[in-house]
Amino acid sequence: MSGLTDLFAGLVTLSTPEMLFHAAWATLLGIIVGSLPGLTATMGVALMTTLTYSLDSTAAILVLICMYVGAIYGGSRSAILLNIPGTPASAATSLDGYPLAKAGRAGYAMGLATAGSALGTVAGIVMLVMIAPPLAEAALNFGSFEFFWLAVFGVIISGQLTADTTPLKGYIAGILGLMVAMIGSEGIHAHIRFSFGISDLNAGIALIPAMVGAFGFAEVMTAMWNRAGELATQKDKSDRTLPHLIDLWRYKVTIVRSGIIGTLVGIIPGVGEDIGAWASYAAARKTSKEADRFGHGSQEGLMAAETGNSAVVPGSLIPAITLAIPGSASSAVLIAALFIHGIRPGPLIMIEQPHFIGLVSAMLLMATLFMAIFGLTLTRVFIQVLRVPYAYLMPVVFVLCVIGTYALSQRMFDIWVMVFFGLVGFVLRQMKYPMAPLVLGIILGDLLDKSLRRGLTLSDGDLLPFFTRPVSATFVAVIALSILANIPAVRRGVASLLGRIGGRHA
Amino acid sequence: MQMAKADRATAIVLLALGLAMVVGGWTMDRLEIRQIHPASIPGLLPMILGGLLSLCAVLLWRASSGSSGPGNARLMTGGSWARLGLTTGLCIVYALGLIGTLSYFWATAIFTFAFSLTFSFPVDGTPRARGISVASCAVLAFGVAFGSALLFEELFLVRLP
Repeated sequence: MSGLTDLFAGLVTLSTPEMLFHAAWATLLGIIVGSLPGLTATMGVALMTTLTYSLDSTAAILVLICMYVGAIYGGSRSAILLNIPGTPASAATSLDGYPLAKAGRAGYAMGLATAGSALGTVAGIVMLVMIAPPLAEAALNFGSFEFFWLAVFGVIISGQLTADTTPLKGYIAGILGLMVAMIGSEGIHAHIRFSFGISDLNAGIALIPAMVGAFGFAEVMTAMWNRAGELATQKDKSDRTLPHLIDLWRYKVTIVRSGIIGTLVGIIPGVGEDIGAWASYAAARKTSKEADRFGHGSQEGLMAAETGNSAVVPGSLIPAITLAIPGSASSAVLIAALFIHGIRPGPLIMIEQPHFIGLVSAMLLMATLFMAIFGLTLTRVFIQVLRVPYAYLMPVVFVLCVIGTYALSQRMFDIWVMVFFGLVGFVLRQMKYPMAPLVLGIILGDLLDKSLRRGLTLSDGDLLPFFTRPVSATFVAVIALSILANIPAVRRGVASLLGRIGGRHA
Repeated sequence: MQMAKADRATAIVLLALGLAMVVGGWTMDRLEIRQIHPASIPGLLPMILGGLLSLCAVLLWRASSGSSGPGNARLMTGGSWARLGLTTGLCIVYALGLIGTLSYFWATAIFTFAFSLTFSFPVDGTPRARGISVASCAVLAFGVAFGSALLFEELFLVRLP
């Protein structure tokens, strides 16, 4: 009950004209950013972080959360109208959204997507309020050994689930991120590592310039490299954007299931909205009575994808707030932003700021409200936004990448870091290396390093406690199983063993 | 270039990086003078990461040796190299050349004008269309330069480069 009380208290705190204004413009901007192919939620949140330095912490975090929620939802616009997902999170949306638009039901498809996103976020908020406080309390018992494995778990699972082709590339991206985190002054003895005499490297590589490069500059290059899509030509004849309640009721099971799947995917470190959408979509297709219509304009498929990706947003904030381990790439930026604004995410959050989870839930709820209002009323405006030529849009984005990065600590070095990560990020992406584990590696490197060396110091160099403490042992088992499951020989062996057991029973 | 070929080239780079990291961690100051616990030397994790990256590089090389599957996919297809080259060039010249050399306002105005005009100029258009294109790019350029300078300098109190 205290979670709900905190949520209502948070809503009261945010019910000022100033906060409502911030929530409104940030959500609208988020929808616009998300709807434009080439601009992702992570990029929007990273750029917005640079624009919110001067705001007070509550307003800044509200703006960032509204941008995040808006952008994830906004991706559905271009997925439905252009068949190009505005963000990777909406890839599953385009499968059924675009056929609906081509059939002249673009408005209704966008209305369903809006309802799905809103309900998904609400489902995620409920789980955030329920899960985050006990998780933070449980994490208070974590020591260096557990945090070491938690960081390893985050990088491994993220690498595994976000890789397009082989998990190996995900692992490599994660290790590269961890290596980046090794640069600069380390956290135990303040020894400076790998600075090569460059004084700007003494403090290490800051997350924001690296992320603005990897998600901003790299995306500008990707957008200019790709050819632009064409709007679905048929006009929306249904002229209705408000979803029928009967449709929502018909898909109630799908909505609840997708909300839960999305939130759980969000909780897994570094696994973002795209996986949430695909997992929900696959689950809906498996159990649907209209499975044959999936991919050809199924309303249920559209609802599942949109509910799933939006539920990831609150889900990803659960580990971000309680463990300081991001559930998605965008929430990694949010963690950096929280530190900038003097809030220390992690297990102590429930002691230092016991009402913070309620406040964040209220922010998410407010973002959902504005998302629903804008989504249902400004459908035609967003169609116009999609017509803005990249030739005019991309230089503006890059200018913001440059000046936003510079504004962080007002040094040219950060701009060089941004450009470097942009170029490397573009090449890695083309070679199918996922970016989420890289980001997770940068943010978790310090935790991994400190936990390993602190743990070894506490155990006087003995490795045994890393494997024998109950939580550590569980993490080790999960990590080992997930790596082994990806080795073809092991998979074949398990399959043949299961086959033999099955045969014997038959 | 085929993915398999690119993967093999990457594997070599990653192996070199991994080994360099191992050597870097091994030769790193062990701070004996401060009498720290030997298990907490700063080079410990870099060595482990270097070893893991080297292992992954070897596995990547082995995986890319197979002739089927995603290894046959071609890299960087379906886009425009000219657009990519121009975009990268313009952005790098702006970020690493113009910024810091010219004032922020002029650097941004020149970059925005050059970028937008390069990708929107109607080469086969009428003189009127060309004039409109140049004028719109100029308006955008000065608008972006003025707006962003005002926002960051006056509102966020940033000392512009």
